[in-house]
Amino acid sequence: MQTDELIAALSEAPQPVSRLTMAGWIALGLAGGILGSIVLLAATIGVRPDLAAAMAGGPFWMKFFYTLALAALGVWIVDRIGRPGVNATRPMLLLMLPVIVILALAAAELGAVGAAEKRLLLLGRSSNVCALLIGFLAIPQFLGVFWAMKKMAPTHPRLAGAAAGLLAGSMAATIYAFHCRESAAPFVAVWYTSGILLTTAVGALLGGRILRW
Amino acid sequence: MSLEVPLIAQEAEYRELMLAALGGDGASYRILLQGLTRHLRGYFARRLDPAAAEDAVQESLIAIHARRATYDPSQPFTAWVYGIARYKLIDEFRRMKRRPTVPLEDAGALFAADETSAALARRDAEKLLAALPQAKRDLVRDVKLDGTPIAEVAARTGLSESAVKVTVHRALKSLGGTLGKRHADR
Repeated sequence: MQTDELIAALSEAPQPVSRLTMAGWIALGLAGGILGSIVLLAATIGVRPDLAAAMAGGPFWMKFFYTLALAALGVWIVDRIGRPGVNATRPMLLLMLPVIVILALAAAELGAVGAAEKRLLLLGRSSNVCALLIGFLAIPQFLGVFWAMKKMAPTHPRLAGAAAGLLAGSMAATIYAFHCRESAAPFVAVWYTSGILLTTAVGALLGGRILRW
Repeated sequence: MSLEVPLIAQEAEYRELMLAALGGDGASYRILLQGLTRHLRGYFARRLDPAAAEDAVQESLIAIHARRATYDPSQPFTAWVYGIARYKLIDEFRRMKRRPTVPLEDAGALFAADETSAALARRDAEKLLAALPQAKRDLVRDVKLDGTPIAEVAARTGLSESAVKVTVHRALKSLGGTLGKRHADR
């Protein structure tokens, strides 16, 4: 086809495009992912039996807001990285904030106890499964976020995949908090973060393959 | 020299056209795409061979269209276009690396005779000739397509050499008229 003909075809009655189109994709992808992760959680590992009591205390919300803050930054990064010519450096640097906060909380808890208890605060009772379960719960999130990302125009597919993986993992970790009974900041700092790093790495691998357009 | 340098000068103008296009204004969109095509041609021509360059121009135009929802009006428009063009260029390089290359000794054979275009030209010419009356058509075919000498054609048809020349000339002129009309129709 001649380029002139192509231009004529493309510009003939173009569909209006809303400014909120991309926000809509992200919202829809996240909604699907959240729903999927909740169903997966309910159908497999289940909600912690003492959820109501736990939600009255601080540790539950410490976990919840740590991962939710990462997820919010993840949304911001995904929204920027999906657009050509837009810089995502600022939200990527801001990721350090919640990490610094959780590390500070972890350091404070570790500083207040003896050597024997340090081990317990770091390993809890579920350190061997925490990161993997976050990865497991992230599967529906991956589907949702990658579906949205595929519709965008990421010019750095691997980085875009990493951002999508970060968002998927952070959302999955937020939902995992409804199952997990750990309450120590050192545990969260190490194992929740590991789970999210895992999904970020998987996202980068997938992104290089499936986010080309 | 990068695409940004000449393109960025038109940031304000192109951004306005893009906003109108996103609102569904086809005329603005067309002007925008035509303007962008000139920049894209320049950008790719400096980096790719001519055929690949035009392919990349079209790929970029299609991407600009299909991914136009990813343009954030609070961000520079030319940076968005440049991001797409750069991505398509990298994509083209990647494809070239993967594409099997023809060994050097075969290259001569490949380019020795461009038979496709000759055959296509002949076919197009025959199509055009069909518009002429039989007698004129034969003359034009003999003289212009087959390259038979005028003297030989004159001897065979019993016409004078100048009559053959004039007939062929007039026939070609009338064909030029048909061709022009067809272009205008499109």
